[in-house]
Amino acid sequence: MVKNEVYPEMLLSENEKFERIIKTIHKRFTTYGYKRIKTSAFEQYDLYSKVNSSINQNEMVKVIDRTGEVLVMRPDVTIPITRELAQNFPILTSELRYFYVQEVFRQQIERNESIESTQAGIEYFCQSSPEADAEVIALACHTMKDLGFLDIKIELGHAAFFQEIIRKLLLTEQQIDQLKALIQAKNVVELGPYLASLDVDREMRDIIEQIPFLYGNPKEVYERTKGVVLSQEMQETLNYLMAVYDVLKMYGLDQYIIIDLGLINHMDYYSGVIFQGFVERFGKPVLMGGRYDRLGDEFGATLPAIGFACEIESLVKATESRDISSRSLIDVKIIYDPTQLAEAIAIANELRERNYSVVSLPARKEQEIRQESVCTIRLEAEKNALFYKEKTIYFKDLNELVDLLVGVKGATI
Amino acid sequence: MTQLTIAMGKGRTADRAMKLFEQVGIRFSDYHDKSRKLVIYDDDNKVKLIFVKAVDVPTYVENGAADIGIVGKDTIMEDPVDVYELMDLGIGKCIVAVAGFPEKEFTNGAPLTVASKYPTIAKDYFTGQGIRVETIKLNGSIELAPLIGLADVIVDIVETGTTLKENGLVVLEKIADVSARVIVNKASYATKTSQIQQFIGDLKAALE
Repeated sequence: MVKNEVYPEMLLSENEKFERIIKTIHKRFTTYGYKRIKTSAFEQYDLYSKVNSSINQNEMVKVIDRTGEVLVMRPDVTIPITRELAQNFPILTSELRYFYVQEVFRQQIERNESIESTQAGIEYFCQSSPEADAEVIALACHTMKDLGFLDIKIELGHAAFFQEIIRKLLLTEQQIDQLKALIQAKNVVELGPYLASLDVDREMRDIIEQIPFLYGNPKEVYERTKGVVLSQEMQETLNYLMAVYDVLKMYGLDQYIIIDLGLINHMDYYSGVIFQGFVERFGKPVLMGGRYDRLGDEFGATLPAIGFACEIESLVKATESRDISSRSLIDVKIIYDPTQLAEAIAIANELRERNYSVVSLPARKEQEIRQESVCTIRLEAEKNALFYKEKTIYFKDLNELVDLLVGVKGATI
Repeated sequence: MTQLTIAMGKGRTADRAMKLFEQVGIRFSDYHDKSRKLVIYDDDNKVKLIFVKAVDVPTYVENGAADIGIVGKDTIMEDPVDVYELMDLGIGKCIVAVAGFPEKEFTNGAPLTVASKYPTIAKDYFTGQGIRVETIKLNGSIELAPLIGLADVIVDIVETGTTLKENGLVVLEKIADVSARVIVNKASYATKTSQIQQFIGDLKAALE
């Protein structure tokens, strides 16, 4: 008995939350001028083997169609969108803003995680500039704020920083991986000895050994870089990041931004700024993104772009500890005396027309249906009452009620 | 200020770490060696210490169940996770090594059989040397494996070498130095930057 009651409630609230998060994200992306698009659930396997080192091919879910051709279930959205655009626009003639909310499928090799997850993300096809990049990061921040997170941190880095280092060092594939792992882990203990074993010149060693400390408040990081001799390209990269940060300050978001020059994204196609977002009490990034100006080249087009994506399932988990009370609230509950059925239906209809969510029930069911609501309306034979925030207001008819609710809705609903 | 959660395994390393904490002003008055409590708080309620199985420390930290973990390098090498490895505590020092009978040579014929608590470390090491291996995972008394012919060599942590010696085995090759490391969850480092940097800074100062 108890089981029957609790389980659907749990399932319902998870789904409700899921939908609410999508709705919030949808709304926010739209306000920045993004248009929703969809891509096919099945993609050519060749498409993904063509684009170098983006998604591990072992992680893709493969299927074979009637003709024996190998297809994959959409492991990401960025690559199909870029391919699609490349076929229509060899050169970007005007800026394009798209967003998507769809499932992606990846099977993690060692982890027992769900194959399917829902990604919401944007792709902004435009030339690289601090304003454009900052706008995308601002949108990411804004979206997280909409979802009710308070302690948001966006780590900002630049793909060119590490690429510049490895271009100068002439290392083997294996050595690059090792160096990458040490930098990603900010492993100060082993980084120095490892560099010594690689026979890297003094100047470069100083830079690389400093990377783990080039993390934190952008101004402080900038000050700290003055202690090392950066190459001209590195200095330009850093100046670009600071320019992005200056624009973010104008958005009033400076307290959320951290610079991390040791940030190296898993997706190798990133070429410019890269970033990832964290929120309080959740151990993994809730969003990831960056600029990928050269991905279009793979399909013979010039399509500079920046984008980010977040996983809805992670966001549902990240919001788990908060927001419990408002989770399943509906706007209005009508409890009516059996003689007032017609009146109850009329009011419910009218309010639903005005986009209130309404549940109505006869007084005898009151104990059974424990639906929480923002306001409660009681229709009795002699008097009608509206209960809102411990206040009781009596009303005569529908018109009076609507006037009352407009006042209430203006405030909270 | 929010609390920091630190995960570590019980044992010698934990006792040494507790002493270090005390030096930097984090005191656990309630704690004593015989205590069976798995969660304890420091006197100022700024740190929550959780005791988990040592091999699980990286998992707790990677998933954000703990902000900080204290764990041996051997455990991190065996089960690499996506965390920051910010500091060497310099305690619990030993080595991971290949051990076997003194005259043992690694020829490149039939695959070498390696018994170990650390199959991943063993495999990575020998593959890196271009030697084919078969690994056998054991959970204890690893030294027994070459004696009864279960394996050609073993890969294990070696502190003093007494157990090896008494069983007629020697260290053949050193793989890596091991000591207790401080690992940090990446999200925690972003959202609690100053607190964690302060904690690490204090520990570093105490070690000097």
